[in-house]
Amino acid sequence: MEEVLHNLMRALRGSGVRISVSETMDALEAVKLVGYGKRQVLREALGATLAKSQYEKKLFETCFNRYFSRDSLSDEEEAPSPPPEVEYDSEDADLSQMLLSGDNAGLSMAMRAAARQVEITGIWFFTQKSLYVHRILEAMGLEGLEGDIKRLSQGMTAHSQEKAGVLREARDRLAEHVRDFVEQQYTLFAGAATEEMMEKYLRNMRLSNLEERDFHRMRLIIQKMVKRLNDIYSRRKKRSRRGLLDVKRTIRQNLTYDGLLFEPQWKCKKVDRPDIMVLCDVSRSVQAVARFMLLFLYSLNEAVARISSFIFCSNLVEVSHVFDGYEVEEVLVRLQRGIGLGVQLGRTDYGQAFQDFKEQGLDRVGNKTTVIILGDARNNYGDPETGILRLIYERSRRLIWLNPEPSSFWGTGDSEMAAYRAHCSLARECSTVNHLERVVDFLLKTGGY
Amino acid sequence: MIRYHNHKFRTIQGIQQGFEGCGYVCSHQIATTLYLASHLEKPILVEGPAGVGKTELGKTASLYLGVPLIRLQCYEGLDESKALYEWKYGKQLLYTQILKDKLNEVLKGAEGLASSMTRLHQYDDIFFSPHFLEPRPLLKALQQEGGAVLLLDEVDKSDQEFEAFLLEILSDYQVSVPEIGTISATSKPFVFLTSNNTREMSEALKRRCLHLFIPFPDPKLERKIVRVRVPGISEKLEAQLVAFIQEVRQLDLKKAPSVSETVDWAKTLMLLHASALNPDLIRDTLNTFLKFEEDIDIVQERLYTMAEKAVREF
Repeated sequence: MEEVLHNLMRALRGSGVRISVSETMDALEAVKLVGYGKRQVLREALGATLAKSQYEKKLFETCFNRYFSRDSLSDEEEAPSPPPEVEYDSEDADLSQMLLSGDNAGLSMAMRAAARQVEITGIWFFTQKSLYVHRILEAMGLEGLEGDIKRLSQGMTAHSQEKAGVLREARDRLAEHVRDFVEQQYTLFAGAATEEMMEKYLRNMRLSNLEERDFHRMRLIIQKMVKRLNDIYSRRKKRSRRGLLDVKRTIRQNLTYDGLLFEPQWKCKKVDRPDIMVLCDVSRSVQAVARFMLLFLYSLNEAVARISSFIFCSNLVEVSHVFDGYEVEEVLVRLQRGIGLGVQLGRTDYGQAFQDFKEQGLDRVGNKTTVIILGDARNNYGDPETGILRLIYERSRRLIWLNPEPSSFWGTGDSEMAAYRAHCSLARECSTVNHLERVVDFLLKTGGY
Repeated sequence: MIRYHNHKFRTIQGIQQGFEGCGYVCSHQIATTLYLASHLEKPILVEGPAGVGKTELGKTASLYLGVPLIRLQCYEGLDESKALYEWKYGKQLLYTQILKDKLNEVLKGAEGLASSMTRLHQYDDIFFSPHFLEPRPLLKALQQEGGAVLLLDEVDKSDQEFEAFLLEILSDYQVSVPEIGTISATSKPFVFLTSNNTREMSEALKRRCLHLFIPFPDPKLERKIVRVRVPGISEKLEAQLVAFIQEVRQLDLKKAPSVSETVDWAKTLMLLHASALNPDLIRDTLNTFLKFEEDIDIVQERLYTMAEKAVREF
């Protein structure tokens, strides 16, 4: 019976419920206590030990119901028993005997045993379905059954002909059942694997190739990422805020007062909060990527307290205020179309953008500021204004350039990346979510900002 | 180190009846989780919307078991000196002052600094012994002879570091005090943690607990709760009132009325000697279960249709 539970847990893990080893052991203990007798009690007991949030509870419910659904073979009315006049004899194969005697429970057991033998839980793709159906049938002894049918249909008597017909019918029905069973197992086990695979796949896919329909999924991934980073970050901030009595230092400092604790010393850490300014290119050349860059910017705005955002194309405008109080979709549309923001979506002009930044934001750049520029540095052969970039670099703590193009393209054609690169503390290719994650990790790491 | 009162948790039905006897109607899910928690000796992490009786569950458990309830209200900035233990600094200082005079007696006869030190070493750590330890709720719960119910209320409000202190006590029912050693529970307390889900609890904490989610009750259960909490209420009023509340919860409100507010409303209506609902009565008493101006406006707009629906059914 433990096997049954382990498979259930596999299915649960697959659909996104995180289950640790200790929880597995708790579940086994719990089942030992309540037994398999009552479905409701079993479900509640497993739910309490395995699913640890409201969201997981929901996943658990669907998974449990799917997993312990009745399989169609053991349903009495669905599989009519064969006519009684057809008797089986000892020379028939086991499977034929079971089919002829209408032993549905036996068949069901045999099917599950065969499924275990061929490891149905490893099913991943829908293309594997027929393969598994065939394998299960084979493991159940299809060969013997086929042999019987062949032998009987060659037989001369009317009785053997009739028996062959009955067997053939029973075989088709069995195949149908096995197919249903595999279908059900597929939804149970493959859903999980596919989910995992999709996420992995999306993480490594170029941002510009992502389509609208992946957008929602992508947003979840980015949110997950930002949340994790935020957890680490906010913890650091809180710890540094609190002052505790530093006993060692107090004693040491007060030795001069004859050991009287005259002047208490407090533990405290320096508050070192990241101050971030982001400049994001929204021109046509980076349009596909810009959407995701902005999405990232939006998530970052939720996570980091002090951040100023700018977007630019032909000129540069500050958009920090846009992020407050609007839903993500609305913000993205507004930013990309530049609705009511005063950004001109003509030819990309990095020189103009830098000049605008010099006027609007440069005096806010201090030695704690990290400046991030998201763009492909394709300047349409205009004045690159490298001097201003150098100024920003010198005043800021760190200047990071994230370029959606691979580094081998940098400096080709109208790309000014080669010139700009010299004035960046860090210039990285950033075209997948994994790249992005690495950069953010770096940004929020101790001393990283 | 055994948990007492196991006989009170012998069957799931028994728990359900026992709790009902103490004035708490629990669903089958809650009873099953209590049953498991007592037999697996695990804490329960209770989540759910505000006012569905998470804290009440802990209180009722202590009532049912007849053991003291030790409650720790969590908040941001709560640390181990307030939750676990603290040294009695004042007492330590006082004792050093008093014992100063004794020092000469102790050191009498010792020659040189070295031998004085050796002699003093015989008395080491007397100031860091259990006599000077001030137990805070968590430690106190472990020290209760006959067992206790430990209720960590709104654990999500505490900091993440605080969760780390909890881990040891939740999994092994013990506390490590560096100066003394490990203090184990004399009898394992029954632990409830409640959370309003303002932030996700850490994986480590969740792993050590059974998880119980209490949703808003269905009409049948809620009627039962009202019947138990407000004895003497007429069946008609109780049914109409629950139907109306369930209806209100469907609306898009800032704060949906909780079970405790249903009970409050029922009590209010009892005070007014009402035997059935009518729109005017509802309008006058809306503020017992709706706590925001906007919510009241929303409900008032549809008051007649909703009230009619609730009244017509029963």
